[in-house]
Amino acid sequence: MRKHIATVRQEEDEAEINLTPMLDVVFIMLIFFIVTASFIRETGLDAQRPDQNDTPTVTDEEGAILVMINGNDEVFVANQSVDMRQVRPRIQAMHAEDAERPMVIQAHPDSTTKMLVSILDSANQAGIDNVSVVEL
Amino acid sequence: MRDHDESLEEDESEINLTPMLDVVFIMLIFFIVTAVFVKEPGVEVDRPEALTAFQAGAGSIYVAVTPQDEIWIDRSVVEANEIRYSIERLRQESPAAGVVIKADSDARNELVIQVMDAAKAAGVDNIVIAASDI
Repeated sequence: MRKHIATVRQEEDEAEINLTPMLDVVFIMLIFFIVTASFIRETGLDAQRPDQNDTPTVTDEEGAILVMINGNDEVFVANQSVDMRQVRPRIQAMHAEDAERPMVIQAHPDSTTKMLVSILDSANQAGIDNVSVVEL
Repeated sequence: MRDHDESLEEDESEINLTPMLDVVFIMLIFFIVTAVFVKEPGVEVDRPEALTAFQAGAGSIYVAVTPQDEIWIDRSVVEANEIRYSIERLRQESPAAGVVIKADSDARNELVIQVMDAAKAAGVDNIVIAASDI
């Protein structure tokens, strides 16, 4: 009798839930989420558009630094043709005169993204924060 | 007698899995919560280079613009007038997502600006033009 009670108690002790299958499932889920977790982060430049209701009729008199890209990927700063390498010094000089001046990039529909990005890059290098892009 | 005791101890000296299970569950929850299923545009583009490129936030909506005047969102070509709808649909899944425009170096700015307009119309403030860091 005593022996019987002892075995019952021992059985009760051992009647723990077997965690191994759940652990397998949990590990597989963990591996799935680790593998699918995307740590990819794209690098890029900030691009702003002016609000649509105040469509810019920005001219030089209003004080914006005006950079235009025409359909042949030629760059004009304040209506003067400028070599791509000269864009950064030019806008930097204009920015130095008045740091509050916003910058507007007027891009021709047929101009390429390469030019737009290098001008945005130049603006960032010159330290101009307020840059917007409009279509010519 | 001594032998018997030792064998009993050996039997009962199973590793206690509970703390490991706790850790694994916490890791699992962490990865589920932070899981971002990236919406790749589905087309490879040659990104322009820039010196001041910074890292865009995770969980962005990618919009690719090819030199062939195609716009790709979520692995399919999208018509110009459907860009806004597509961005809005993807933003319902992750409302905090920004938009990354992966435009080819030779893509036309007309389309890039259309995508920027559509993103803005869809209520996205965080618009980034992809550029490779040099």
